[in-house]
Amino acid sequence: MNMHATPQRTQAETALVEAFAARLSELPGDGAVMVKRDDAIEAIKDGLPTRRVEAWHYTDLRRLLTSVPDHDPTANPKPLVPVIEGSEVLSLLNGVVRGKAPALDGVTFQNLSDKLTDGSFAQALDPLDADDAIGFLNTAFVSDGWFVDIAPGAKIEAPIELQNLQAGGQTHVRLPVRVGAGARATIVERQAGSGAALASSVSNLSVGDGADVVWLIVQEQPETATHLAQFNAELGKDSRLTLFVMNAGGKLVRQEIRVKVAGAGADFQLRGVNLLAGDGHTDVTMVLDHAAANTGSRELVRNVVTGKARGVFQGRINVHQLAQKTDAKMACNTLLLSDDAEFSTKPELEIFADDVQCGHGATVTEIDRSHLFYLMARGIDEKTARGLLVKAFVASVIEELDNEALVDALEAKLDTWFAEHG
Amino acid sequence: MPAVQETIERVRKIDVDQYKYGFESIIEVDKAPKGLSEDIIRFISAKKDEPDWMLEWRLGAYRRWLTLEEPTWARVDYPRIDFQDLYYYAAPKSQSGPKSLDEVDPEILKVYEKLGIPLKEQEILAGVRKEPNGEDVEAGDNVYKSGRVAVDAVFDSISVVTTFKEELAKAGVIFCSISEAIREHPELVKKYLGSVVPVTDNFYATLNSAVFTDGSFVFVPKGVRCPMELSTYFRINEKNTGQFERTLIIAEEGAYVSYLEGCTAPQRDENQLHAAVVELIALDDAEIKYSTVQNWYPGDAQGKGGIYNFVTKRGDCRGDRSKISWTQVETGSAITWKYPSCILRGDDSQGNFYSIAVSNGYQQVDSGTKMLHLGKNTKSRIISKGIAAGFSQNTYRGQVNVHRKAENARNFTNCDSLLIGDRCGAHTVPYIEAKNSSAKLEHEATTSKISEDQKFYVMQRGIPEEEAVALIVNGFVKDVIQELPMEFAVEAQKLIGISLEGSVG
Repeated sequence: MNMHATPQRTQAETALVEAFAARLSELPGDGAVMVKRDDAIEAIKDGLPTRRVEAWHYTDLRRLLTSVPDHDPTANPKPLVPVIEGSEVLSLLNGVVRGKAPALDGVTFQNLSDKLTDGSFAQALDPLDADDAIGFLNTAFVSDGWFVDIAPGAKIEAPIELQNLQAGGQTHVRLPVRVGAGARATIVERQAGSGAALASSVSNLSVGDGADVVWLIVQEQPETATHLAQFNAELGKDSRLTLFVMNAGGKLVRQEIRVKVAGAGADFQLRGVNLLAGDGHTDVTMVLDHAAANTGSRELVRNVVTGKARGVFQGRINVHQLAQKTDAKMACNTLLLSDDAEFSTKPELEIFADDVQCGHGATVTEIDRSHLFYLMARGIDEKTARGLLVKAFVASVIEELDNEALVDALEAKLDTWFAEHG
Repeated sequence: MPAVQETIERVRKIDVDQYKYGFESIIEVDKAPKGLSEDIIRFISAKKDEPDWMLEWRLGAYRRWLTLEEPTWARVDYPRIDFQDLYYYAAPKSQSGPKSLDEVDPEILKVYEKLGIPLKEQEILAGVRKEPNGEDVEAGDNVYKSGRVAVDAVFDSISVVTTFKEELAKAGVIFCSISEAIREHPELVKKYLGSVVPVTDNFYATLNSAVFTDGSFVFVPKGVRCPMELSTYFRINEKNTGQFERTLIIAEEGAYVSYLEGCTAPQRDENQLHAAVVELIALDDAEIKYSTVQNWYPGDAQGKGGIYNFVTKRGDCRGDRSKISWTQVETGSAITWKYPSCILRGDDSQGNFYSIAVSNGYQQVDSGTKMLHLGKNTKSRIISKGIAAGFSQNTYRGQVNVHRKAENARNFTNCDSLLIGDRCGAHTVPYIEAKNSSAKLEHEATTSKISEDQKFYVMQRGIPEEEAVALIVNGFVKDVIQELPMEFAVEAQKLIGISLEGSVG
């Protein structure tokens, strides 16, 4: 998968290859799916990406992925209370669908394992490119997932929460979601668990013409878990996608976001909050393609890094030659709270159309001392004052979401994190 | 945007054949055989009458180079270079160390004359330049014609002459070719050469370390403010010749020097290679200003020919409170691969990078800077303006890195790109890395075309469209132009005008 031939397999690479041999017989799929799985494991045999692969510049997966646990068939995670009250919950426990899908007008749910077994999902397993390590890993091992199909014009009021929960071992799932033309839905992707697992998860969202989707990724893995996730979306004409990503856990986390604004007049909004503590490594990498005219996007990512945590944000905006009148703005702001915290950011613009307005901004700072002084001068002790300022720094991203239940739910998550790490 | 349709049409038509320095001079040369081997390196070293340690240094670099692979990460695309198909040494034949200008081949003097660079000191001092036919011409706005600038002229592989040497020597400043420095001041060269860009640094720097032929050497001793601008003028004349220049500038405690370089080459169908290494060293309280106006032949309208410019430039703010500024105006070369950098090692040291990169035709530019904050209270500032037209690709690639021990590091980065036409590309690839919580890093970048509003505003005041565009472009690059020495700024502005002729008037 990378051009730099690696002479010797690392322990993790060997473990993955062995795990594949061991699990192959129990993974679902027809001949076509099995061919994809074989191709994927071959790519892993060539070596996981190192920092020499530009897309993995700050996350040397080959070096950082040190241990790979075996799949644990006895692992039994417990379903969680949904982030937003009143959500329809669909569970994936230890990598397989558990429980029945709710009956919801205008929505069809299917088990992905069925679509793997009959081969209808084979084509969707193709890697995105030669460096798509998460795609390869997931394709080789994917065991199940929810396939969600929302009918054109359906207005789904209740949020749909897709819970992917682990309790150690390995879990690999896919979440394909199709939203029909003119439909509206809110989807929560919940990534959590309790064990030192290796979890991979790939979401594929297709947003139909004129549809309006709000998608939330809430990642709260324990400090021992490795979480490798990918979110892929394609936007139709005049559609709208608001993606909110919150990372608040994990030992080694890579969240890829790949969005193609393919239809004219479409709009993409990304809001991200990364709360990084402990000695974890969290990498959020976005590749956004503006491939049609008159499209817009805004990306706003706020990071708080404390302890010995390392954070990465890579954001690339590609504006294709046909995408005239693109209006794209990206901002990445980071607060470093401790001396051992690290943050690296690489905001990229790649522009082939001339009639565009594109920009990005990035800052890395500590807490503004004059703000701190202002609060302390009013009798607020330093710890409380710092907490207020940090919370205000990230809360502004959340408050922009135009949904009260959502804002309340996320602010509650913020409070929990600050209570623990603030 | 029909209003600029005409502009775009004209940009498309721009022939890079308007390159006005494309003439070739027939001068007898002394060449090494084609190709690269240890023998060629021994040949170069012997030609330059170098001491053994220098030859060993070169051979070490060459052996290292053989183990390296050409980097491919830059956003440039070119056929593989056959390093055995190049001449690594070409020198004008009459050149066997002339004692005075009279001994320099008149053909060479004519070349520099044509380029507007006088090498005759007395005439510069008089402020009037004599044409070969004896007519007096007024000193123009060319910096070389009007100013008192010491020039080191490098022709293909060697330095042909350095002016104002004596006057500089009075101030204690050493300004000579690097070959001369290796012979005359070996202790300084030994101490500093390769101390900023190590032999093993990268593919092109290592190649340069093995085969570099000439370049400038500047040494400004403690407490001296260099009394005039120093300048090197590079000219590649011979066919199939690589130019490998090596420049070393040292400013001791409290010293100040401002240095400019300019470069041109004849129009040719094949590509020529230019792989330079520039090292700057600033000790406590010293300041070095390094300005470049790069105008190598960019290739013709079909993208044929042109210089491959693979350059490693790095400054080391070794002392406390030292300061290094890079200012560059990049308009030439088929391919530019260049990242003038600052290592901010001393406490309170400061690094600046101001750049204008203009690309047209099929030019490819991948340029930017690296600011490595190692010392406490270090500051850096990056202002980069890219203008892409025609079918060109213009990339800013930069890195700001704050080391764990670098308390209170500050960086401000601004990189803006302007696109003229819809066949070109503008790209921004910054790497921002903070390992200290007291760091304050700000980065902003924008890409746009000239807005109709801006143009309307200017035209509404009775200024014709082409002039309006020129005015806006001038405004766009103003922040950088201001950093150039004054006379040079005029040149640079004109050069940008020529490079974009038809689109900005």
